Amino acid sequence: MNNRPYFITTAIVLLTAVICFRLPPTTATYIKQFFNTIHAPLYSIQKTAKAGGDYLSSQTVSRQTLLKENKDLKNQNNILELQLSRLPSLSRENRELREQLKMRPRIGWNPRLSHIIGRDPSNWWRSIMIDLGSKEGIKLDMPVVAKTGLIGRVEEVFQSRSRVALLGNPNCRISATVTSTGENGILISSGETVFDPTLVKLTHLPGASHVRPGDKIYSSGLGDIFPRDIFIGKILAVDSSPGSLTTKATVKLSTNTSKLHNVWVLMP
Amino acid sequence: MKGFFTIAILIIALISCHLAASWSLPQKLIGFYINPLPVLIMVAAFRCPISTIGALAIFCSFTQDAISSAPVGTSILPLYALGLIVHVNNKNITLARTKSRFTLGAASGAFVSILSLLVLLVAGHEPLIGWFSIWQLLSEILASGFLGLVFFPLAEWIDKSVEEQPLVAPYDTSTRIIRSPHIHG
Repeated sequence: MNNRPYFITTAIVLLTAVICFRLPPTTATYIKQFFNTIHAPLYSIQKTAKAGGDYLSSQTVSRQTLLKENKDLKNQNNILELQLSRLPSLSRENRELREQLKMRPRIGWNPRLSHIIGRDPSNWWRSIMIDLGSKEGIKLDMPVVAKTGLIGRVEEVFQSRSRVALLGNPNCRISATVTSTGENGILISSGETVFDPTLVKLTHLPGASHVRPGDKIYSSGLGDIFPRDIFIGKILAVDSSPGSLTTKATVKLSTNTSKLHNVWVLMP
Repeated sequence: MKGFFTIAILIIALISCHLAASWSLPQKLIGFYINPLPVLIMVAAFRCPISTIGALAIFCSFTQDAISSAPVGTSILPLYALGLIVHVNNKNITLARTKSRFTLGAASGAFVSILSLLVLLVAGHEPLIGWFSIWQLLSEILASGFLGLVFFPLAEWIDKSVEEQPLVAPYDTSTRIIRSPHIHG
């Protein structure tokens, strides 16, 4: 048996693997971008198939259902318009009060709707792929929300797609505030996240914390990535051990991302 | 080198990786994603030279990592190690029985999953692991076994269909009849 091809191939593969481990993040992103373009035709086929499916399903909806839906939406629209009419005066009042207190004006966020086109095909990470990319102005670390609360941040940006690291992904740690006590902690993944993706841990709470199950958690705004006061979830259980310097709590996230189809990227 | 067969395996790898990411029904039903690459590499290891197995391991790993949060090239070594072991021992492994195909598929799933996790931990990454990961691993072994039952016959069919068939001579060319004038006069 001629062993030369085995040695050469093994050496090349080992070298490639070692280079991959030592790659700087920017180069790794370029490689991912290149190989992501190979998936582009499949994404196009997927998009066309989805559009076709949506068209067929819309053709089968009865007129009565559409009329009822239209009526409900009109009612909802009236209520929202009423609420919206109060907003300019409240906004003006808020701006005047902030000026009097010499506080920095709040940054306004422009939410942009995007569709989920893929999920992480690996069991070791939790992320989703969305159909907005650098062409649409998406940048790294932009917050991503659903209508029920915060879900993650943009982790990788490609030309027409982006990858969002979800809360519970080891790469997505955020600072959160318990509103009832005002205490800050860090939201991280835990072993329970593998079983139930809506369970995460809130760590680094003070040792003598007064946090109780049922308390609501919002983003703290520390770290300048996530804006303040976006709802995240509720405290499920508190693990406090006597003499410990910090307290841990189990958090139930408000959004089950495995059931989502659309998300909003908050653009400045 | 089996060029067409290699390209066919590459296309199947690309489509199955994409399906694993975009089709969330299996994940909703069983709670985890099924990795099709270990079985595909094993199938290729029976029919391709070692250089092709190396190229497949690198390409498949990059293709999967491009749509995942995983660091680039995480599964190159596990996939290649699997391919190398199978390729070196392919004469001692039988593929005739359904049971052996299932066992090989299941073993490939277990091997690559455990080795990928070890590579991630050794490289200093923090993958999402917990007690439920044991269930995920056991189920993935089972799912890879079933994938083995699908991919082995598929590879056999592709190999027969796309690769050049040997030319069949109208007579047996291996035996030549030499008539000696001394014997037959």
